[in-house]
Amino acid sequence: MTTRLPGREGRRRSLANARLVAVGVALVMAWVGVGYRVTLVQGVQGEDYAARGLGQRLQRETLAADRGTIFDRDGRELAVTVDGTTVYANPEEIEDPETVGRLLAPLVGRDSAEVIDLLNEDGAFVYVARQMERAEADRVREAELPGIYFLKEPRRVYPMGSLTSQLIGFVRSDDNRGLEGLEFQYDEQLAGTPGELLVERDPFGRPIPQGEYRVVPAEPGSDLVLTVKTEIEYAAASALDAALERTGARSGSVIVLDPRNGEILAMVNLPTFDPEDRAVAVPRVVRNRAVTDVFEPGSTQKLVTIAAALEAGVVEPSTTFDIPEQIELDDTIFGDVTVHPDQLTVTGIVAHSSNLGTILVGDLLGIRRMHQYMFAFGQGRPTGVDFPGEAAGVLRAPEEWCLTTCLASTSIGYRVAVTPLQMAMVYAAIANDGVWVQPHLVREIVDGRGVVEPFDPLERRVVSQDTARQMRLMLEAVVDRGTGALAAVPGYQVGGKTGTTQKYLPETGEYSEEDVVASFIGIAPIDDPQIVVVVVLDSPETDASGGKGAAPVFAEVTLAALHQLGVPPDAP
Amino acid sequence: MTAPARPLGAPPARPGLQVVAVRRARRTKPRIGWWVLLAFTVVVAFFALIYSRITLDRSAFVLDEITRKTAIEESRYWELRLEAARLQAPERIVDLAGEMGMVYPEAVRTLTVPGVSTVGTGTEDRWIDLKAILTAQP
Repeated sequence: MTTRLPGREGRRRSLANARLVAVGVALVMAWVGVGYRVTLVQGVQGEDYAARGLGQRLQRETLAADRGTIFDRDGRELAVTVDGTTVYANPEEIEDPETVGRLLAPLVGRDSAEVIDLLNEDGAFVYVARQMERAEADRVREAELPGIYFLKEPRRVYPMGSLTSQLIGFVRSDDNRGLEGLEFQYDEQLAGTPGELLVERDPFGRPIPQGEYRVVPAEPGSDLVLTVKTEIEYAAASALDAALERTGARSGSVIVLDPRNGEILAMVNLPTFDPEDRAVAVPRVVRNRAVTDVFEPGSTQKLVTIAAALEAGVVEPSTTFDIPEQIELDDTIFGDVTVHPDQLTVTGIVAHSSNLGTILVGDLLGIRRMHQYMFAFGQGRPTGVDFPGEAAGVLRAPEEWCLTTCLASTSIGYRVAVTPLQMAMVYAAIANDGVWVQPHLVREIVDGRGVVEPFDPLERRVVSQDTARQMRLMLEAVVDRGTGALAAVPGYQVGGKTGTTQKYLPETGEYSEEDVVASFIGIAPIDDPQIVVVVVLDSPETDASGGKGAAPVFAEVTLAALHQLGVPPDAP
Repeated sequence: MTAPARPLGAPPARPGLQVVAVRRARRTKPRIGWWVLLAFTVVVAFFALIYSRITLDRSAFVLDEITRKTAIEESRYWELRLEAARLQAPERIVDLAGEMGMVYPEAVRTLTVPGVSTVGTGTEDRWIDLKAILTAQP
């Protein structure tokens, strides 16, 4: 039995019921809405949202491979990669660029106006200073300037500075790829392979524990062990520097190499540059002239002519020639600069550096055989040294030789252009009993796992052992009683040959009356050759000859090199 | 067939009933102990799981810190190697030696050690010869 409530109470009850129903409906609808949304987010679009979330947390980072170190033959670092700190700015976060710029500029070593301009740029990222040393970067850090941030970047450093700069070269600052020298030649081996790190990070940049973490480690670049000995390099640079000052020469080159295995112990060119200061690294000072520049070898070429004649059997060391006062060929008059007897043996021709005697010997040899031996000695083609930009020199084909003066000129070192390294290799073949060994700068490559790959040089016989020995005796005579007296080295028997060449001026097509190239190439010790040293001076003003300008440099460098190599003296 | 007589006042016998000795029923204990143990195990396992997660997370942070410190030390190692290389530069050593009065002699004089006959046989051989002479000296 139902009881109807009085009217007012009944209405109140029914209103409450209606409200309850409404709230209930609202709640149900809300839950349905929530459920729908949950189903949508978690179910239908779940994977999409999960992927977007992961994308925000997941960071893919490239792990830079450590660039290999370059060592000298004794394990001393010549090029090293260290951590540098790059300073960058977010201009959008800097409210007062003028003040920040003025404070920042001295800390990064830049001009204030320049830095202020950078901070006024549009965008959220500008480099302020790259690859700073840690101590310098710490000073910027301590300043706590707004909108200034830091990045770690590898920095290539050359501890020996300008001493080895032309040899080692340098890398591009932003990606450390080789641009010059051995850094360029061996860039692929030195660079290594970059790795990759995939890591989940929180909004503060910290890795999320147990989050996604995948790493493909970078493979470090290989190390290079050079054939160069830093002490000899320094001795060569010091002697050459002193010679440039003494003679006023524009530039000069010195090469020291081991003729037995083709290892280059030192290779120096002056003027040079500081690898830390790229502003001065212009092509004139960057290039390794000993490999890239050619010159006419002059009298040092006489060794090739005489050795070829001996090998071909057209003369003996004791064969005597009547030396005329001059030889005239097609309006060209050849003469001798040195004073000597009217009759000279082949040994005497070399000792007195007689142009006329050498021309007579060359005439017996003929064009084809002369060309054949020059080519065998490595002239007119690259030596294959592991250095970029090597010049091949100039050696014309026999059919291009004129029948008048070409043979005579070539016999005494004109009409042929060679690099200092090519000439060093000619003498190295004589020093090595007639066997030419490919020159090289890298002794071995050591990869990231420690596997050593030694350099395997090419070899070829150029002349017989007898011819080489006879030539060494003649070279010894040049120093003992000929034009190379200033090349004598205390305590050691050495041999060599002077060279003084008038400089060819490509602009006028004629030979200069004033400028010469003075050179000396020698072997030490002459009885048991350990080193070959080449000295080339470009346009010396005083002591402008191979005997006076270059020979003393040879003596100084050779003495230091033999001491450094522990070669015992062989002369009183 | 007629039913057997029964005593007066006795309840009528029911067919199929018999007297059975009633054993005293065993008192069943509630098995709550197992439930408590189970709950305890679950709780312990839960906390162990949380603890292991926390420990793992902490280890990850520790590892991260170690990695960071390793990178710093590695960087310092290379800086020190660089410094050592700079200190070994011949130019610097020659300058310092010069300041201390160590310079190359003006003239080089070669001394010949009596007893060492051949020359140019290499440093090692020569050193062995020389050493033999020096050892023989009083």
